[in-house]
Amino acid sequence: MHMRTRLLAAAVAIAPAFVPPAQAAGTLTVAQSQDPNNWDPIATFLIAWGSVASNMFDGLVLRDEALNLKPGLATSWEVLDQGMRLRFKLRQGVTFHNGEPFNAEAVKFTMARLLGPEGAKGPQQSNYTSIGSVDVIDPYTVDIVLKRPDPVMLTKLAGYGAMMVPPKYITEKGSAEFGIHPVGTGPFKVTDYQNKVSLTLAPNPAHWDGAPKLDKVIYRFIVEPNTQVAELQSGGVDIASNVPVALASTIANAPTLSLISITGPTVTVLRFNTTHGPTMDARVRKAMIMAVDRDTIVKQILQGHAKPVTSFQSTLSFGFDPAQKPVPFDPVAAKKLLAEVKLPANTTVSLDFPSNDTTFREVAQAVAGYLTAVGLKAKITPHEMNVFTNDIIPNGKTGEMFRMGWGGWTFDYDNTAYLMYHSGEHWNPYDKDPALDAMLEGQRKIVDRGEREKALQAIAHFVADNALELPLYNMNTIYGVNKRVKGLVAPPDNRWRLTGVTVD
Amino acid sequence: MGAFLLRRLALAVFVVFVVTLLVAWAIRLSGDPAMMLADGAGSITEQDLRNIRAALGLDRPFTAQYLGFIGGMLRGDMGHSFMGGTPVARMVAQALPLTLLLAFLSLGVSLLASIPLGVQAAVHRGGWADQTIRIISLIGLSFPNFWLAIMMVLVFSIALGWLPPSGAGSLSALVMPVLTMATILTATNVRLVRTAMLETLSAQYITVARSKGLAETVVLYRHALRNCAIPLITYIGLQFGGLIGGVVVVERVFNWPGMGSLAFDAVAARDYPVLQAVVTVLAAMIVAVNLLVDIVYGLVDPRVRTE
Repeated sequence: MHMRTRLLAAAVAIAPAFVPPAQAAGTLTVAQSQDPNNWDPIATFLIAWGSVASNMFDGLVLRDEALNLKPGLATSWEVLDQGMRLRFKLRQGVTFHNGEPFNAEAVKFTMARLLGPEGAKGPQQSNYTSIGSVDVIDPYTVDIVLKRPDPVMLTKLAGYGAMMVPPKYITEKGSAEFGIHPVGTGPFKVTDYQNKVSLTLAPNPAHWDGAPKLDKVIYRFIVEPNTQVAELQSGGVDIASNVPVALASTIANAPTLSLISITGPTVTVLRFNTTHGPTMDARVRKAMIMAVDRDTIVKQILQGHAKPVTSFQSTLSFGFDPAQKPVPFDPVAAKKLLAEVKLPANTTVSLDFPSNDTTFREVAQAVAGYLTAVGLKAKITPHEMNVFTNDIIPNGKTGEMFRMGWGGWTFDYDNTAYLMYHSGEHWNPYDKDPALDAMLEGQRKIVDRGEREKALQAIAHFVADNALELPLYNMNTIYGVNKRVKGLVAPPDNRWRLTGVTVD
Repeated sequence: MGAFLLRRLALAVFVVFVVTLLVAWAIRLSGDPAMMLADGAGSITEQDLRNIRAALGLDRPFTAQYLGFIGGMLRGDMGHSFMGGTPVARMVAQALPLTLLLAFLSLGVSLLASIPLGVQAAVHRGGWADQTIRIISLIGLSFPNFWLAIMMVLVFSIALGWLPPSGAGSLSALVMPVLTMATILTATNVRLVRTAMLETLSAQYITVARSKGLAETVVLYRHALRNCAIPLITYIGLQFGGLIGGVVVVERVFNWPGMGSLAFDAVAARDYPVLQAVVTVLAAMIVAVNLLVDIVYGLVDPRVRTE
């Protein structure tokens, strides 16, 4: 697998970029890495779902490319009862793709389905459990009443599980049929779906936000990133959605192709085992952070398609503090600090990571090199991806440090910080700190945005001061695009709306 | 003959049964499908994971899960995929013909190439034609199939722009996967044909045929080749397992939506029902082909029956 990926990468890189004549104007073909297999909004949490289905469904609220909330199926909303009641005025005259009207009853049905037994079968329900009830005030006014404060609820209503679905269609056809022949209110409707092969969309000319300009969108499910690039180069697709760093320059240099490299939702850090071994000592952790030159890693290995971070969040995240400074690269100070600790001779630190990530393997080797340079014995330990995420991390079987990539579409630091640092959380096998727990719980009760942002920033500083992790970088999402595609705006959350796109 | 058949059939059923048990057991050794499903979820809790596991039936003991799977298979119900709930039978029905098409077409192309080449090599034993064919076949044997697949994409899709690098939507998309598989198969089959031919050509009836004044092509293709057919068919039958294994890898490179792609995705996602069904169906097919070879042998050679 690894070898094959390398070979294709090398082969494609040295090939002259020859692109045969373009396909039909007005038809956009997109290579998509994964088929979610089920298009029901409550069935999945895959980014692959979001990047396709955002064209099929609308939420009460939506987000623009800068991640600000904007009206969707609700034209306006008010926050009542100290944040415990959200009142939405619904857009009138909207119909689902099958002709069913959209109204307050559809909202009630959607939320009841999400929070009921149907929702319990999937991973979406957990995000919306702070909702107590949905009250229909009149056919175009609806209240969502919370049973506990949830400052992120409005943002969550713009995403995934809260996409509005047609009551009559689902009641008549059942959820299984809805999952393969989905019906929403979005700018595009599904005309054909072949599992693991392709999904075809046609424009919905009656969409409230204006008719799309494309005649047709075809998503082709292509797992191998290198095959995606080969398809892009040979004109089989217009957009490759998963471009490996190694092939980015090939695309950038091709005369008919352009490269889009934008801030992505995922941040990568190395977390420490704070309960066993040499990394129990905060000084050792601090020395290790100082020993690694992240700027060089980003520039050399990732070819600039990433940004170094200071905390476990991207610059777009709510809770990001531009004033927080990174720990400087200082191997001399690191050595001095390690000498103070008087570690036993031949102390070995292991860096555990999932073996399928070939780019990260190089990063891991570089980190091990930097650690060796300050006198630690460093080794890298790859694991099969599924075993790593489901066993090694949650059950605390890692070495001294392990790779963690995280970041949700909500772009709210709470989504990362709580799950990573609160004691007893699934992804947190090591850290247990009552002070940190109190901070994490406290920010969830704050309704004022400014206050909450400060509380989140304080958490990021606390984590850095205690050296709980070695912050690495925020990886870019890299797309390869044929230049015949016009008007494409790549959203940082990977949730594409293709309304304004044209193809020559 | 009846007892022989029964014994072979019972053995075949037993082998498939052991395979199902092994697969069901092995895939549960590591990983958690509920966690895979929740991948990317914001605030997943242990309770949410328990709910998902209950919905998937993973809270039952292994024996109950396994018996449910076997019982379903016997009734023709392969269950539903964990990832999206698609009926597995539908996924297999979509993928299996594509894999078989690839496998048999590759085999056919390979035979068309390897029989004349093998015959030529045998006839001109030690000559330049023989040497060239043997060296090329050795190189062919040394290629990993994925490497060859990648080189073909590079040449025919990217440099020349003749063929689509992936997909299964058109006839032209079939060319490179079939050529890749056929090249690898031909490398082996050429040597097989050559060896079988050499043995046959030294037989006395060939000398008789030649001394009758028959044309050399008639001697080779009507008299000699017919007599090599039995070992060749047997070997190709036994090759079937390896052929399917090769298809799995080639499917991945060319994004061919067959059984191999299904298996690949199912392993990564710990999608138990899909993987169990795919492996069971493929194992049953390989066992069936071997059984057929056994039976044909039994028919042809009475000694095998009393074995």
